[in-house]
Amino acid sequence: MFALNVISKTLNLPATKSAVNFQILRWRRKPRWVPIAKSKQFRIPQRPVIIEDEQIELKRLFNNYRTQMKSIKRYIVERFVAARAITTDPKDIQRIFDEDFARCNKINDEWNSDIQSKRIEYFENTLEENINLAKESLQKRLELEQFKLEEAEKIVTEQKELSKTFITADNIDEAIERSLANPVDYNFAVDLDGNKFYNKKTL
Amino acid sequence: MPYKYIGRTHSFKGKTLWEIVGNLKNFGVGRLVVRNTVVERYPEPSYYRILKVETLPQPKEESLDNLRKVKVLLEKTFRGVTNPKPVCIESASYKTDYRLIPKDEEQRYCQYKAPVTNEKIFPSTMELPPLMKEVLIREMKIKGEPVVEPVMDIVYNDKKRRIAKEGEKPTIEIKIGLGKPAALSLYKGIKLE
Repeated sequence: MFALNVISKTLNLPATKSAVNFQILRWRRKPRWVPIAKSKQFRIPQRPVIIEDEQIELKRLFNNYRTQMKSIKRYIVERFVAARAITTDPKDIQRIFDEDFARCNKINDEWNSDIQSKRIEYFENTLEENINLAKESLQKRLELEQFKLEEAEKIVTEQKELSKTFITADNIDEAIERSLANPVDYNFAVDLDGNKFYNKKTL
Repeated sequence: MPYKYIGRTHSFKGKTLWEIVGNLKNFGVGRLVVRNTVVERYPEPSYYRILKVETLPQPKEESLDNLRKVKVLLEKTFRGVTNPKPVCIESASYKTDYRLIPKDEEQRYCQYKAPVTNEKIFPSTMELPPLMKEVLIREMKIKGEPVVEPVMDIVYNDKKRRIAKEGEKPTIEIKIGLGKPAALSLYKGIKLE
């Protein structure tokens, strides 16, 4: 139905006339392995009847066409061959070869010189870039090492500071005395306002 | 119940060669046979004279698609011209298109006088297509060469025809274009040159 609509539009048919009567052509051949349709099995194709005059005329036209086309093809080929005619004289062959070689060599030299200048430029630029990159990375590495050293130093000083409060054999008695004197009770309750209530058991 | 054949029809009319030859005395050596389609196509007589017959075995399952063949050596006359060498028909002998000429008609059938006609002399060169011609003329002008009408050699399909030699005037003219129509009724309402 879509196709019919498209056809109606493209052919500018009035809305009342749809393209129902149009036969949509198959756009590709039926594959060779598909057998003959059941409906076409016993169909006998009509033998074509060509009017005698028409047949003679068609034959004449096709004969003329083929002769003319063959002549034109031969003519073009001969012209082309004549234009590129090659001599059999070895001196001439050597000369043509040398000329061709010189021409090719010239083009090759041009390409080489062009690429050489490009290559020099490329290597100069890349050397400078590489040196800069190496310098940058060295700087970064040094900074990183310095940072690591500082961090380590910081940890060491902190630990040194803490070591003063450590319990040792010398002050163990004092520490025991202190802990006995200050009992700590972690057993507390909390209300909704966050108040802590201690000594629940004793209360 | 009568047979009903289904399929494409052909334009053959007659019998197979074996049907004719197998029923004749001495396999019909010396008799005339014709291919019906060839006879209908040309006004000049075309016929075969049987020289020698070699039989071939009957097929195991003979049917319309598998007819008996025969190997026959013949003197061929095509359109009134007799072939100097005999021809052999074997693979085409199954075709139901052969007809025997009765003995009393043979002499009348072979009578043929070639009509006296002027020999056609074909041209050896012809003009080029218009655009190509124009391009070539311009090329000549650019190169500073004298401008000559460019012509090309005609390539004919056969070597039998008479081609005009140098200084000879051809009786037939070949030109680019429609040419002379075989029947004007086909070009009704079209302005021809």
